Amino acid sequence: MKKIITILAGTAAALSMSAQLAFADLKIGIAAEAYPPFAEKAADGTWKGWEVDMIGAVCAAMNEKCEIVPIAWDGIIPALLAKKMDVIMASMSITEERQKTIAFSDKYYNTPAVIVAPKGSSISGDAASVKGKIVGVQVSTIHANYVEKHFGDADAKSYNTFDEHNQDLVAGRVDAVVGDSLAMQPFLSSDAGKGFEIKGELNDVAVFGPGVGGGLRKEDTDLAAKLNAAIKKVREDGTYGEISKKYFSFDIYGG
Amino acid sequence: MEQALEYLAFSPPGWGGNLLRGLLSTLQIAFGAYALGLCLGLCGALGKIYGGPVTRWGLEIYTTLIRAVPELVLILLLYYAGTDLLNTALESFGYERVDIDGLWAGIYVIGFVQGAYSTEVFRAAFQAVPTGQIEAARAIGMSPFKSHTRVVIPAMIPFAIPGLANLWLITTKDTALLAVVGFSELLLETKQAAGGTKSYLLFYCAAAVLYLLVTLCSNVIFGQIERHYRRGQPAQT
Repeated sequence: MKKIITILAGTAAALSMSAQLAFADLKIGIAAEAYPPFAEKAADGTWKGWEVDMIGAVCAAMNEKCEIVPIAWDGIIPALLAKKMDVIMASMSITEERQKTIAFSDKYYNTPAVIVAPKGSSISGDAASVKGKIVGVQVSTIHANYVEKHFGDADAKSYNTFDEHNQDLVAGRVDAVVGDSLAMQPFLSSDAGKGFEIKGELNDVAVFGPGVGGGLRKEDTDLAAKLNAAIKKVREDGTYGEISKKYFSFDIYGG
Repeated sequence: MEQALEYLAFSPPGWGGNLLRGLLSTLQIAFGAYALGLCLGLCGALGKIYGGPVTRWGLEIYTTLIRAVPELVLILLLYYAGTDLLNTALESFGYERVDIDGLWAGIYVIGFVQGAYSTEVFRAAFQAVPTGQIEAARAIGMSPFKSHTRVVIPAMIPFAIPGLANLWLITTKDTALLAVVGFSELLLETKQAAGGTKSYLLFYCAAAVLYLLVTLCSNVIFGQIERHYRRGQPAQT
C-alpha cells in the first residue's frame, strides 16, 4: 500500500511539473485546418483570414486579450467542454443539435451552402440528380446534415476536413461535394478546381439554421452577453465592413 | 520544380521551416514516450516474472487492455476526458485548474501504450536468458539485485533489442495520431502546408521522406547498440 502511495505521489508530482496553470486570457478555438478565406495558417505560423480578423476585432471590442487555440474540427466541442478554450469561432453554424450541448452567441455571418461537381456533370441541387452518386461532405457539419436529410438516395461519404473532400473530388472518388459557398471559392479558383463548378444553392432553414455564431459553454452566460455586445458593436461601428472588404465583394452577414 | 523548392524553402513564404519544427515536436514526443515506455516495460516485465499473484494479474490486465484499445481512442480519452477528470479532482480539493498541453499528453499516452508492448518484449527477453547463467551468478554469491544488474539484464538486452527497435519505429509513427488533438507535429504541419498551398503530393512526399530519414537513422543507431551488446556472443548464422 505504501508503495502504491509513493508511486501515485510521484506520478502526481510529474504531472504537476508538466501541467501549466491555465491562463486568464480568453481562449478562442479555431479548427486546425486550412479553411480559406475564413482561416488558414500562413507559412510563418500565424493564422490569417476573415474569421481570424473577426476574432481580433471582437476581442478588441470586448477589451480582452485573446489567444487562438487551433484544435481538430471533430474534437472542437469536447475541447470547449474540457475548458481547453472558452469560445469556438470556427465557422460553426448555430443548429438545434449543437444547442443541446453548447450555447451560441448571435450569428456573425451567414452564407449559403452549395453543391459542387465537375463541369458537364448532370448533378444539380435537387435530390433526383444525385441518386446513386457519391457525395462528399465534412463530418459533423450542417452540410452533412443536409445530405443526410435530402439526399437519402445518394451515397454520402464523410471527411474530417473540407480540404480532404475537395481532394477526393479532384481525384474522382466522389461525384460531388456539398459545402459553404465562400469556402468553395478559393478551391474553384485554384488549378485543381478548374474543372468544377457550383451546380446549385441548397436551402433549408431547418438544417442550416440562422448562421454562424460563437460556441460557448452553457454556464458562461456573462461571456455570451459580452460576446453578443461585441459582435453588435463591430457590426455597427463599421469594423465588420472594413474586414469584409478585404476578402469579399459583398456583405456576408446575410439577411 | 522551382515552385516546389519555393514551397519547401526554410523561411516564409516557404513551409520547410514548419515541417522541420513539426519533425522536432514529433521526435520530442517519440523520445519522451519511448523513455517512459521503457521504464514501464522493464518494471512491468520484472513484475510479471517475480511479482506476486496480485501484481501479475494487475499487469496482465494492463497489457491486455492497452494492447486491445486503439491508440487513437486512448489519446482522445486522455486528452479530453482525462484533463477534465484531473481538473474536476483538483478543483474539488481546492487547487487551480491546469491545462495539460499536447506535448505532455502525447508523451503520457503513447508512453503508457508503449509500456504495455515493451513489457512483453522484455518479458520474453528475460525468459530467453539461459538459466545456467543466473544459477552461476547466484552460486558465486551475488545478491539477487547484483546478479540482475551484472548478469541477467546485460544478457537479456540482445534478445530485447530487435523488438525494442521495432517499438521505437512504431512510436515515431504513433506521434502522427496527435494531429487529432490539434497538436502541431509533423503530420498536422504537413496537412496545413498542403492545405495552404494546395500542393498535396509535394508536402505529403516531403513528410514521408522525413519519416523515412528518421527510420534510416534509427536503424543505424540500433545496429550499433546491438553490435555492442552482442560482443562475445557467437555470431548469428
